[in-house]
Amino acid sequence: MSLDAAPDTVSSSPMPRRRGMTRRQALTAAVAAGVGVGAVRLLGTTMQTLSQPPPAAGSDWISPLESESARVMHLLRRATFGYTDVELESALSAGFNRTVDRLLETAPAEAPVFDASPTPGGRFPIAQLQQWWVNHMLGTPTPYAERMTLFWHGHFTSDYRKAADNTLMYWQNLTWRRMALTDLRSMLMQVTTDPAMLRYLDLAASTGQSPNENYSRELMELFTMGPGNYTEEDVRQGARALAGWQLPRPDSYATVTIDNANSVARRLPVYTTQAPGVFNNRRAYHGTVTFLGQAGSIDTQGVIDRILVQPATAQLIAAKVAQDFVNPQPDQVFVTRLADTFRRSDYDIKTLMRSVFTSQEFTAAASYRALLKSPTELMVHAAKALGATGLSRVIVAAGSGMGQSLFDPPDVSGWPSNAAWISTNTVVERVNFVTAALGQTKASLPSASAAVHRHLEGIVSPQTASLFNQAPDEAARWFIILASPEFQLK
Amino acid sequence: MNREIGINQLKRRDFLKAGLVFGAGASGLAAGYAAVPDAFARAVYAAKQGGVSNDNVLVMIQLAGGNDGLRTVVPLSDPALHDLRPVLSGPMVSQALPLTTDFGLNHNLGGIKRLWDKGKLAIVQGVGYDNPTFSHFESIRIWETGDPTRRQVDGWLGRTLAKAYDTNGHPLTGCACGATDVPGALRDLQATMTVIQDQKKFGFTGGSEVEAAVGALYKGTPGIYGALFDTALATASETIAVLRTSSAEYQPLADYSDKVKLVYSSQNQLAAALQLAAELIVTGTGVKLLHVTLGGFDTHYTELSRHDDLMGYLDSAVSAFYQDLAAHGKSDNVLIATWSEFGRRPLENASGGTDHGAAAPLLLIGDPVKGGLYGSAPSLISLDDTGNLKYSVDFRSVYQEILSGHLGADSGDILGATFADVPFLRAPVPAV
Repeated sequence: MSLDAAPDTVSSSPMPRRRGMTRRQALTAAVAAGVGVGAVRLLGTTMQTLSQPPPAAGSDWISPLESESARVMHLLRRATFGYTDVELESALSAGFNRTVDRLLETAPAEAPVFDASPTPGGRFPIAQLQQWWVNHMLGTPTPYAERMTLFWHGHFTSDYRKAADNTLMYWQNLTWRRMALTDLRSMLMQVTTDPAMLRYLDLAASTGQSPNENYSRELMELFTMGPGNYTEEDVRQGARALAGWQLPRPDSYATVTIDNANSVARRLPVYTTQAPGVFNNRRAYHGTVTFLGQAGSIDTQGVIDRILVQPATAQLIAAKVAQDFVNPQPDQVFVTRLADTFRRSDYDIKTLMRSVFTSQEFTAAASYRALLKSPTELMVHAAKALGATGLSRVIVAAGSGMGQSLFDPPDVSGWPSNAAWISTNTVVERVNFVTAALGQTKASLPSASAAVHRHLEGIVSPQTASLFNQAPDEAARWFIILASPEFQLK
Repeated sequence: MNREIGINQLKRRDFLKAGLVFGAGASGLAAGYAAVPDAFARAVYAAKQGGVSNDNVLVMIQLAGGNDGLRTVVPLSDPALHDLRPVLSGPMVSQALPLTTDFGLNHNLGGIKRLWDKGKLAIVQGVGYDNPTFSHFESIRIWETGDPTRRQVDGWLGRTLAKAYDTNGHPLTGCACGATDVPGALRDLQATMTVIQDQKKFGFTGGSEVEAAVGALYKGTPGIYGALFDTALATASETIAVLRTSSAEYQPLADYSDKVKLVYSSQNQLAAALQLAAELIVTGTGVKLLHVTLGGFDTHYTELSRHDDLMGYLDSAVSAFYQDLAAHGKSDNVLIATWSEFGRRPLENASGGTDHGAAAPLLLIGDPVKGGLYGSAPSLISLDDTGNLKYSVDFRSVYQEILSGHLGADSGDILGATFADVPFLRAPVPAV
């Protein structure tokens, strides 16, 4: 879906009514159900908070975010892919503010070299690349950079099927990571000239004489301004101005048998050195265009600059960031505040994300467990919580049934978020992942009781508490934690 | 964005439903939440008794990305075609399978052509809506909600499900096959529906113990996603029980070949999805509204081979599906309908492809249809000011005929208006 968060999409249905339970109800229910002292301990911190229920405006979980340690866990769940025990300890001793600084100020660690990348035609199985990325998510010293790389992968989408060369997808991943924390102006130039993107949205096939509109349209509709902020004529004129880009020249070619049974061989490109697209002036448009209200002879940088003059761009990015990191239905005033900050900083990502993480909205009670973990976030957090490093194959295999295969988004609008992750198929597959993951890690499980506090802040429903207490062994207790609704949320 | 709206709006019934399903294993838990006043539950159930009571089934096939209407139902005698499409027009005209002197089907639609010969294919030409948008996502939403003004957030089939069907105890009444998320057309927070990516894998790998534990875990879940989670798990569990029986009984009586070359961006194994649809229909699981998707139609580039492949894929999957239903004696009440967010620009681009367009034909297939051409094909000379085909039939006219004539639902209530008749059905059922 595009991000047209227009007021006209607001449902006419009645105001949401408060549902679920208060802290008092939760405690009462747990006691009534005979789950014993253990569960009550799981549910609560001190009695003082009982008389001050949070002003729940969308979340019925009892927010513990008044406590520093809970805020740190909340931050790590959203700004990274959850945490290992070691990462949590380190962040807890630094505290919330210093952890925000540390996340924002640390330069992204480079991913390890992916060995299969120079395969002719990029014809290695995509699962290898998916596993390579998941392994890096699990082990990287800079998980915030990985989280942002995944965010941009879902925003500036390409899929390996149409890119038709997995080496180009590998390159795109390297580029997205390097640019993830920079600024939107330079990012848009790299996105536009990225070889996989040139294929995916057909800019490599576009010429000034007969422009292909695909990239011009999605650049404005999905990547920057959003629908309603440009005309069909802008799409056409933009397509002219953007024409001329081509894929880089391969380092060499190799003749490869692609069909053994029928002895079919093909000459395939071999890309060994990463390079962006190249501009071929002979394919460009040589004339003036009228784009977003101004006439002139403009090049690709000119297109990007004009797009960034439009206030709609910062609004769209800010709204998407707010939905992915703060609240599924962010307040318009909040989004505008983020957008203004973003634009004033000349689209600096660090400035935007700092204002997100340090906002009052980020740690408001209503934001607690207000977001749903994407399948990748769920699985990487589960592996980190278990202290398991050998789960990347299981994680890659399980993604599709939950609706997320890396390098293979459903369409150019990327993956949906939050409630859209829930269907009969995906909830069953989330549980099946937990079964598979525990099947591989049964031998050396960390303490499940400690995990209830480390990963769920001890805030659990009566059902979760009861089942946890009834569980016969450590593996069953871990199953309850990881399959619980609490762990699906962030 | 509409995916996010109103997650608090589930009816109490949906919330309670989850509580009703799992009696065992969770008794005594959360006593305050599981207590369901029976009278309330019955009242909700009774309210649906006035709904649809026939056995008619609808299968919607989404051709995602914008299907090229001119390459699907080809104008054979319009001289303007060659000027607009110097590269693409040649083979598409010479190889087309003639339906009349003026129109032919894409040459890869041979199986569907045989259904035409038997009077089981209706083609509605020039389908679209006013002031078309050329954005995939805006237009998909318009088609999904049936609302070009973009105020409606629920899908037209979701509304049908919520208003006209009793889904209590019938988790498969609305079902998306071969997908992982709820298609927008079926989305409605008041409706219960199932999504099945692959029936062979649909189930808890940990077995009944895990299923029972998860059933107890997701009950009265707090928070804004609580009811969605609980309903999804409860519906999944009911579905698993139904599938367990149906898988045992079903033998496909047609060859669902998956060997046709897959096209980029096509994650959707249409043949496999339709085979699942056939299984659900043949084994009497109570399916009524089914949705499947074939992707890859956004043919900006080298359209010739890509679109031909897609047509072949559509043809083999639909042909097998029809053959399978007929061999099981179940084809008489199943209507198959295609839809796509838009057609493509009549003028081809330099990449041997076409950009986003407007009006296009829809295919309606099966025993319930009265074969023939409906609507009128758009002129290739009198294009609109964006260079696109003008529509002659509002897409909601097609929905209306499906809703009132095939499903027997109150189309005016669901679509909020009435539209011109397109009488493509043989014997419309009396509306409720």
